[in-house]
Amino acid sequence: MVLSGRAEAFEPLVTPYRGRLTALAYRLTRDREEALEVAQEALLRAFRSLGRFDVSRSFRNWLFQIAANEARDRLRKRARERTAFEAAAHDGPAAADPEAGRDRQELRSEIMRLLEGLSPREREVFVLRDLEELDIRETAVALGCSSIVVRVSLSSARRKMREAIRAGHPHLEEGR
Amino acid sequence: MTCRKAKELMPLYAGGDLRPRLAARVRAHVDSCPSCWEESREFRAVLARVRAAAGAEGGPEWSEADWRGLMARVAAEARSPREAAGRRRAPALLPRWAPASVLGAVIGLAVLATLVKDGRIGGRPGSSVAGPVAAGADRKQDVISVTMVSPESGLQVVWFLDKNFDWKGDKE
Repeated sequence: MVLSGRAEAFEPLVTPYRGRLTALAYRLTRDREEALEVAQEALLRAFRSLGRFDVSRSFRNWLFQIAANEARDRLRKRARERTAFEAAAHDGPAAADPEAGRDRQELRSEIMRLLEGLSPREREVFVLRDLEELDIRETAVALGCSSIVVRVSLSSARRKMREAIRAGHPHLEEGR
Repeated sequence: MTCRKAKELMPLYAGGDLRPRLAARVRAHVDSCPSCWEESREFRAVLARVRAAAGAEGGPEWSEADWRGLMARVAAEARSPREAAGRRRAPALLPRWAPASVLGAVIGLAVLATLVKDGRIGGRPGSSVAGPVAAGADRKQDVISVTMVSPESGLQVVWFLDKNFDWKGDKE
């Protein structure tokens, strides 16, 4: 790609996606600080990989794919840390649960609470398809899975969303 | 299409994610079934509301310092690969294992030269000197003898091998 390696050309290229990248990362990680770290790392990775970017693809979708991968890596790491914490809690004296602390610090919005009811895969699919408005094929490419997996996860996610809204978020049902 | 099948497909239908032919079949059923029509409307409303709420919320904001810091890192990365590439270019012409190979070859040649000088290689077949005797141009030298002497009993064992190191016999 002609822009590869040119830092001065990179900034105008990615500036339009500043907000959307952090929003995507926030919905996937459910943590504001981590979302910014994910967005930063995604942009650095994008810069390093710019030479390999397929210009026939959407640049926005490519950025989202990198951010989704980064968020998934961090969530896995967080899950491992949580497992290690729980193992240590069994063996030693009680310590502060980092997840519990994170939950207390975060002011959870309605959307974030709804997203918490989804599995990691459902959340990824729902966020990319329904909130970022990628189509099914683009979502599958971004997540490195098949369109069938995307459809199955999306169907399940939308059902869970409807049930959650019926159960505890009636104000989101104003359109009924 | 049955209600059960239509309800199964409803989340994807409401979001416009069914293939056109299947979507047309669901639409035909929904248009004639009040219950499925209501379910379809409900899913659409949920999706619209969730999208609107998400759009209103947005994500965490970059501080200008964070953004400038990131762009500075990008600029640093843009510089460093070139320097790294420059550093890597010279070794690329000479593989990392090249010095070790040269050293090994020199040591091998020195050992060989020493052996030849001492007459331990190139001696006559059947020589009493312990160790291998290399084959020469002479037809007879196509046979190698290896003599082993026991320092305790004085027993000597001589192995005869042809130039392919096939065992030809032994003699005590």
